[in-house]
Formats: sequence, C-alpha cells, structure tokens
Amino acid sequence: MLNYAASRIVQTIIVLLVISFIAFLLVANIGDPLAALLSADATVNERLELIAKLGLDQPLWTRFLHFIGNMLQGDFGFSYRTQDPVANLIAERLPATVELAFVSLLITIVVGVPAGIYCGVNPNSLFGRFIMLISTAGITLPNFVVGILLIAVFSVQLGLLPSFGRGTVVDLGFWKTGLLTVSGWRAIFLPAATLSTFQVAFIIRMLRTQLMEVGQSEHIRFARARGLSEARIWYVYAIKNTLLPVITMLGLQLGNIIAFSVVTENVFAWPGLGSLFLQSIQGADIPVIAIYLIFVGLVFMVINLIVELLYPLIDARVLRRQS
Amino acid sequence: MINATAPLLDVRDLTVTINRDGRLVTALDKVSFFVNPGEVLGIVGESGAGKSITGAAIIDLLVPPLKRTGGTITLAGTRLDQLSPKAMRSVRGGRIGFVFQDPMTSLNPVITIGQQLCDTIQAHLKLGGSQTRKRALDWLDRVGLPNPDVQFKRFPHQLSGGMRQRVVIALALCADPVLVIADEPTTALDVSVQAHILELLRDLHRESNVSMMLITHDLGVIAKMADRVAVLYAGRVAEISPVGELFNTPKHPYTRGLIRATPMPSATGEMRLDQIPGAMPGLGAVPPGCAFNPRCFRAQGDCRATIPPLYHEKSSAFSCFHPLERVTA
Repeated sequence: MLNYAASRIVQTIIVLLVISFIAFLLVANIGDPLAALLSADATVNERLELIAKLGLDQPLWTRFLHFIGNMLQGDFGFSYRTQDPVANLIAERLPATVELAFVSLLITIVVGVPAGIYCGVNPNSLFGRFIMLISTAGITLPNFVVGILLIAVFSVQLGLLPSFGRGTVVDLGFWKTGLLTVSGWRAIFLPAATLSTFQVAFIIRMLRTQLMEVGQSEHIRFARARGLSEARIWYVYAIKNTLLPVITMLGLQLGNIIAFSVVTENVFAWPGLGSLFLQSIQGADIPVIAIYLIFVGLVFMVINLIVELLYPLIDARVLRRQS
Repeated sequence: MINATAPLLDVRDLTVTINRDGRLVTALDKVSFFVNPGEVLGIVGESGAGKSITGAAIIDLLVPPLKRTGGTITLAGTRLDQLSPKAMRSVRGGRIGFVFQDPMTSLNPVITIGQQLCDTIQAHLKLGGSQTRKRALDWLDRVGLPNPDVQFKRFPHQLSGGMRQRVVIALALCADPVLVIADEPTTALDVSVQAHILELLRDLHRESNVSMMLITHDLGVIAKMADRVAVLYAGRVAEISPVGELFNTPKHPYTRGLIRATPMPSATGEMRLDQIPGAMPGLGAVPPGCAFNPRCFRAQGDCRATIPPLYHEKSSAFSCFHPLERVTA
C-alpha cells in the first residue's frame, strides 16, 4: 500500500512538472512582457534594467527553475491585462467555482447514484425505462440549452430563483462563500443543476450497465445459491464491484467542472474561474492563461490521486496489478 | 446404501423449457430421481445432457430464458416447487448447499472470504457476531485451509484455485444443509488438486452424513464418490443404478457407451477406448422415439416410434426397450 501510494504521488509530481514546463514555455515565448510592463517612452537603460530584473537574459532552464521556485513561494507573476498578481485573480474567483462544482457533484450523487442503482436492479421496470428515457435527454442536451431552459422556467415563468450572480456572499477572510445564506443557495441551484444534468444522466447509464453486467456474473449467482437476501446481494455484493469506474468518472467530472464550466458560468453570469479564463483568452493575458493551465493540471492530478488512493480500499486486486 | 426410509429429495417429472423466439424447446424432459438420506447420487452425462440444469432447477436458480414448467420437487416432505421466493431463499444455502464449478469466478472478488462466509452463515443461522466468526473460522479449518484467521481477512485473488474451491465448499456447507448439490466441483481444477478436493468432499460427507448430488461428466469421479448414479441423455434419464451395477452390468446401451469411452485399464492392463458414433442431439433437435436411437446399435422400429418409459427393477431403472443382457459389458 505504501509503495502504491508513493508511486502514485511521484507520478503526480512528474506530470505536474511537465505541465508547468509547457505553461512556462507559453509565458517565455508568446507575447512581449517588456512592451506590457514598460511605458512607451522608456530608455534603453530602463529596458536593460528590467530585462536583468526579470531574468530574461538567463538561459531557459534557469528561468524555468526560477519560475518553479517563485510558484512554490506563492509568486505566480502578474497579469498583462490588469497588472494584478495572478494569484489574487485566481483566489478571488476560485471559491465561486469550487462551490458550484461541489454542489453539482452533490446533486449528481444524491440523484444519479440512487436512480442508476434503481435502473440497474430493475432494468425492465416501467419507472426504470422512464428514467432511461429522461437520461437520454440529459446526455444529448448541451449545457447552455439546459441552462437557458431552466432560466426560462424557474426565473422567467415561475420567478422562483435568480437567473444570475451568487446572491449574498459571506466573507470568511480567506474564502467568500455563498453557501451560508439563503440567497446564495437560491442562486447556486440553477447553475449547479445545469452542470449536473449531464453527469446525472451519465452516472445513471454507467451504473445501470455495470450493475446489469455484474448481476449476470457467476459470483452473484453463487451468492443467490447461498440464500443471501436480494438487498444484500445488490447493495453490497454487486455495488462494490461497480464502484471503481463510478468513482473514477465522478472524480474526472468534478475536475471537469472546476476547470471547464465556462459555458454555464457565462449563461448564469457566475463570477468563477471559467469567466476569468475566457476574459484572459480574449485579452491574450498569457501569464494568467499559463497559471490557469497549471492550476487545472493540479486540480485534475490531485483529484486523480485521491481517486487512485481510494482504489485499493475498494478492490484490493489493484495492489496486485501494481507489483 | 439403499434403505427403506423415505427419500430425502424426490424429483418427479421435472421439466424445464427454454423459450427460443417464441418456440418452446424442452431442455429437461420429465426427469425423475430421488436421493436417500446420507447418499451420494452421481449425475452423469455428456455436455448439454441437462445435468447442470437439473441442479439449478432444484433450487430455482435457472438462468432465463430457461424455465421450470412442470414436475414436483420434494425435500424432506416440503414441496420446493411451490415455495414462495422468500421461503425458497432460506432453502438455498440453508437446506441445500450448492458447490459451483469454477472457483475463479464464483467468489466475489472485492469481499473478503471471512465476510462472505459470515454473511452466508448469518443468512440462515441466528448467531451473534462472535459466534458467526468462530463458525466461519471453524469451517475454514474444516476444509483444510492453513491459518484460518489469516485466510479470513484475505480476498479470493490471494488464494490458489484449489484453496478457492475449498472456500466454495465451506460456503456451501457452512449453514448445515441436508443436501449438497456439487456441480462439476473439480472440473476447473488441476488433476492433482482434483484428487484433494474429492477427498475433502468425501471426508465432509462421511463426517456430517449430508446427502449429495454430484454432477459430473467424469465417470472416474463417479466411481470414486457415488452410491448410485443417474445417467442423463438429451434431457432425459437413461438409467439409474447403484454404482457397482452400473459399471458391471449397464442396461442402457448409452451407459455402456459412456463407460467404454472412458479411458480405463482393462483386466489385462491395456487401455481400451471406444467412442460412441455420432453426437448428442442439440436442444430442440431430439429425434422422435428414444433420443439415443440414431447412435444405438440395438435400435429397432419401436425405438424410433415411441419414447421408452422408465422401467423399474429392484434397485435400478432404465429407459430402454432393448436393454443389455446381464453379461459383463
């Protein structure tokens, strides 16, 4: 187990270094920081001074080490567009996106997992077929359509929920949360529901297929032949065999939402990372884009790492494949 | 071993059909046999003769589209074919243990052996946690696994095939059933391991005096283990005889064919091997009359016209119009 964990962590660090290098190349080769940082009438001396200060006269690998060293000390560089530290920009936007991602993950687990299990255990029931029909819509409808539909129904027609913003936010000092106020929850519901439509549908279909397959297996038949209750057979013996792919998918989906909820955030004017990313691309704000890339890599790698460290707890065979 | 008491398991006219695109095809055709208390009944036949279907039909564990459509199954006075699903569940594992064929696939890969045993015990016996655990450890020991408390925490993939089959046997027997149905319990194992597992089954049978239905295609296994033997052919009973009688004076030509097709040294020590011409008819392709008639050297007109009934003699029964004479086969 220790070996397994250590090797996963080393792998994660290596991948992060590679991503950082690619992002660094982006910063080092695209755009002209001097033009962005110097005034138009700067002298040659001022120019040379800045070059020396930014270390632009150093060889590439020295600069990369500097880049990594600065990041480890919390210095992520400055935005070309706003001149603000990139760290501040991201820290300002992060809470909104993370909260959105977790609420939509919550919806996915609360709605998708039970519905998927129901469809897997009773694939031929009327209700099961109905769920499958609905889930087809969830898979095929693009996010912005779902978002606009939800706004049209719940905000425009029924006037129940706000269609944009985060509602009232409480500042905890390090984190601005919308989850402590009623208006925050009302505001987060529609975007979170929009983001979770696809995931709910996906988890339902995946759990159903997995359960139907496991249900046919010889060990489930043997469990029946031993007189175990149907509840125990499905909810313990069968489910445990389907958990690996399900938590893998949930992890990837969570990363996906944190990193790429651009469209939904736009539809609901959600002040999150997605809209920051969009603005940075439009303004060719290379440092922000680069740090954002590294951040996305970090999110995916950490989630993946957690998921992989969970594997052996669910299926000990993972450890054997390792050795 | 035959005694005057009532049979423990009495199966009469068991019929199983399979629905193939709206056409009903008979997989088991009025199969009748019984198992006495403490007896080992061997069920033998070629692949597809209906051996496994017979076992699965008794505990109502047929895989759809297979379906039991007729006959009665009585276990110690209880009609199993009339039980509710809930009552049937307490019979499975509780009254009838079932040993599956392939230990590689029949154990749940993500649940420890100890947990699988405890769950099975608790499904049938009202025992507390520590007593359940003690019983599970006890069974691991009885089936010959070294260090039961180590094995208890292990997962199936950490055991060899032979050890897994021992666990399967423990799982089938841990709730004290009165009857064990073992479906090809040694077929998936190495030859050397096969002998150990057979020995284990025989020892457990002697210790507990549990009745056993041993389903196999291997006449060697039958000779070693069974008291009486039922020979199945194309979903019908061809012959049921005590094991000695079956090997020395088979009545059904198919039985003799099976025996002669098994590599066995003769009295002079040389190996002889005769195969039965042709192949067993598949599902839905059973010829009219006796199912064996196209392959039978004694077949006559009546064999092709009507299905021979099961003729009962003292201790045996056979389904043949022209049984073999009482001479050594």
